[in-house]
Amino acid sequence: MSEILLDIQHLTHQFRLSKTAIVKAVDDVSFQIRKGEIFGLVGESGSGKSTVARCVMNVYPPTSGNIYYQGIDVCEPKQYRQNRKLLQTTRQIIFQDSTSSLNQRMKIVDVISEPMKIHHIKPPRGSLRKEAEFQLRYVGLDASYLDKYPSQLSGGMRQRVAIARALSMEPALLVADEPIASLDVSIQAQIINLLKHCNLEHGCSVLFIAHDLAVVKYLCDRVGVMYHGKLVEVAPTKELFESPLHAYTKSLLSAIPIPDPRLERARVLQEFDEHLFDRHGQLVEVSPDHFVLKGGAK
Amino acid sequence: MDNLFVQVGIREIPEPQMKQKKWYQGKPMVSIFLLCLIILGCLFCELFIPKDPTYMDLYHANVAPNSEFWFGTDTMGRDIFSMIWYGGRISLYIGFFATLISTAIAILFGAISGLSPKWLDDALMRLTEIFLSIPNLLLIILIQAILGKANIQTISLVIGITSWTSIAKVVRTEVRQIRNSEYVVAARCMGAGFFRILWKHLTPNFISSIMFMVVMNIRGAIGAESTLSFMGIGLPLEIISWGSMLSLSEKALSSGSWWIILTPGIFLVVTLLCVTNIGNYLRKNANQKESNL
Amino acid sequence: MIRKNPFVYYSKKIAIFLLSILILSVAAFYISRWAPGDPLVSYYGERVERMTPEEREWAEEKLGLNDPIHIQYIRWLQNALQGNFGISFKYKQDVMEVIGGRLGNTLILGGIGFLLIFAGALGLGILCVWREDGWLDRTLCKVGTIITCIPEFWLSLVLILIFSIQLRWLPSSGAYSVGNKNDLADRAVHLILPMIVTVLNHLWYYAYMIRNKLLEEVRADYVLLAKSKGLSKKRILFKHCLRNIIPSYLSIMAISVPHILGGTYIVETVFSYPGIGTLSYESARYQDYNLLMILCIFSGALVILFNIIAQIINERIDPRMRENEIVESTEVTEVG
Repeated sequence: MSEILLDIQHLTHQFRLSKTAIVKAVDDVSFQIRKGEIFGLVGESGSGKSTVARCVMNVYPPTSGNIYYQGIDVCEPKQYRQNRKLLQTTRQIIFQDSTSSLNQRMKIVDVISEPMKIHHIKPPRGSLRKEAEFQLRYVGLDASYLDKYPSQLSGGMRQRVAIARALSMEPALLVADEPIASLDVSIQAQIINLLKHCNLEHGCSVLFIAHDLAVVKYLCDRVGVMYHGKLVEVAPTKELFESPLHAYTKSLLSAIPIPDPRLERARVLQEFDEHLFDRHGQLVEVSPDHFVLKGGAK
Repeated sequence: MDNLFVQVGIREIPEPQMKQKKWYQGKPMVSIFLLCLIILGCLFCELFIPKDPTYMDLYHANVAPNSEFWFGTDTMGRDIFSMIWYGGRISLYIGFFATLISTAIAILFGAISGLSPKWLDDALMRLTEIFLSIPNLLLIILIQAILGKANIQTISLVIGITSWTSIAKVVRTEVRQIRNSEYVVAARCMGAGFFRILWKHLTPNFISSIMFMVVMNIRGAIGAESTLSFMGIGLPLEIISWGSMLSLSEKALSSGSWWIILTPGIFLVVTLLCVTNIGNYLRKNANQKESNL
Repeated sequence: MIRKNPFVYYSKKIAIFLLSILILSVAAFYISRWAPGDPLVSYYGERVERMTPEEREWAEEKLGLNDPIHIQYIRWLQNALQGNFGISFKYKQDVMEVIGGRLGNTLILGGIGFLLIFAGALGLGILCVWREDGWLDRTLCKVGTIITCIPEFWLSLVLILIFSIQLRWLPSSGAYSVGNKNDLADRAVHLILPMIVTVLNHLWYYAYMIRNKLLEEVRADYVLLAKSKGLSKKRILFKHCLRNIIPSYLSIMAISVPHILGGTYIVETVFSYPGIGTLSYESARYQDYNLLMILCIFSGALVILFNIIAQIINERIDPRMRENEIVESTEVTEVG
């Protein structure tokens, strides 16, 4: 078992909607990401996946719980300040909507080199422009795009630019917040392969958030399943898909369409009854590396 | 008849011949030209003005326009034609400088308010409202009194300080919309500081929505300077500007010297009109759609 | 949606109003005291220069000017809460009396002006939309833009030059001729020029606003629907479009009340019209503290009051603007 890069413990995040209404977006979530691993986080929309991602990136301060990155408690303001540069350079994020995650008024070259400008990093390939060009080539675009604006690119290209921006810092942890949800299927494949490639070549760990199970099955080493802010099951991908234990996971897996009409017709959709869900359960390790949410009364 | 079905596949559609628009069409060329003329005339007035604008020729006080004094002289015997160009420099300078001050305050204040948590934002906006509720004229008189004797810089400062609120409100609203965009979040994740986010990410995105107001602020500032000087709380008579020239108009009214009132005023109005036209052009034309009525 | 108790709602607004005025009074008090200048001049006039230091001290003591500012303010506040706003240094009269004599004049000028602007802007705006892009619309837009560019004091000057000096038709200053205080016709004649300036100065601004809002409205899809149902142009414009923009127009006009009153200040000064405007100008210039305070608070209260009214109208029209009831999903605040 390799070293743990990111350790999330009992993370809880609440949103206050008004004086009385509070929504627990993330409720007591714990999991680890190891070095060089792609960790998938799946769940229906609104289940708190993106909130976890944003907590990891210090965008939202968690209501309670701790996040350790390379042993640094990033939620502790003092520790955060001391290691700010390390945290800001080695953790990078990719968003779902590439239209809004790139500033419309900046050229691609400025977008890609922005993190280097912020941290006054001397570009290893001479000038900032050369560096941007290198990163752009790396994600499969040529130098002619350097002086274009994001609005002149297609969605897939923009997402690649976003990835190039993230990769320019050579991150140790890449948080991909549904990077493929807004793309066409053919382009999804390119982006996924790109992510896989980065993972193999740079050895950077990826927190991959998606609601497409097929993608997760292909890409991830381990998968966590979230439901209503709770992590209900964590297991290596293969094990999760072969022997799901939690009722919600089973229902989720039964919803995957099978690309064979005969089998597809025979597929039975397993309903998951919300009332059976126990908010106060605990994650229990049932077999090595396979955790399931189990509660008292059910 | 058999060629009816020959055409298969995508038919080539000829590009519709769009009438090429000339570069100047739809732009307020007359206004731009006139404004340039006035600005250049004021900047290089030394080259062509016939008299010393500050020289008081008491033999020729209150002379109607004639061949020697093209626009006449004022009640103190100064040549109005020379004063117009010479004084326009100060009026325009105050217009731009005051706008610079007010825009800077507005962007800073609006951005801080837009980026801060709700309670602080509320408090700041409430403060702006109270600030707005002090009548402008009183505020100007009071600030002017604190700053001491009026000169070009203090007048610009006073006008700038009293005219930033409307822009600040727009900036705040825009910033509140933009600040949750993912590119701002991304920049924050990358570790960009407040001023970098403000300058690189926020300003370019709201500048177009305040551009119109900024231009209108120039107009407001030039107008305010003339009003203040006219009322005797702006520039003194010795500092020539279009406003301070008009402060002689009460004497002019009693002697019926219309040229003292009309000439600087017409220059003022033409300048303001040009600025307004340019401002209106900058405002995005939202009504491009056909009327349904 | 959660319904709010109207009592809580309005008492909150009143509390905000009172708090704002309190802050305003502190600000105005401090600023006016910081401003250099000798308030004794406005009380004693020229005599101040010949005063011995002892006399000065006695005079300051008498007017309560030698205490620290915060003590002066607290004393002022205590008196003000009992309805006693002190005396005007210049007029040596209770400030309320001084204002009382002038307030009517300003209200006549501002009030009638406001009504004319309100109705005129609506009429002009509708006219422009009715004939959109016709010659009338275009001419009105051009003329309107030109008029908004004319500073009001200069417009006043030109009007005086034409109508009072060249043609000798109308008087150039004052609110009535000497001795004719109660002659309505005389007052009306004196009112014409200031009124023209007040109205012209604001009219197009609001008419243009109406025009733009109506034009936006006319492009909405429901107009197409109404038209396809066979409704007449007049009926669509007045029954549907106009009705939709009236609430927002009301809220804009509510904000504009103090604006228009403030605009009369300059007009009053040019026409030497005895109103609040000339008074506040004098009081600020000659450090007539008590008068200045009450004028500041008076006009500030107007602004705040009408802002709150506009806010209430807005919240009535658009429940999204209601504070604290529903927060848009993008503006979720953090806990802890």
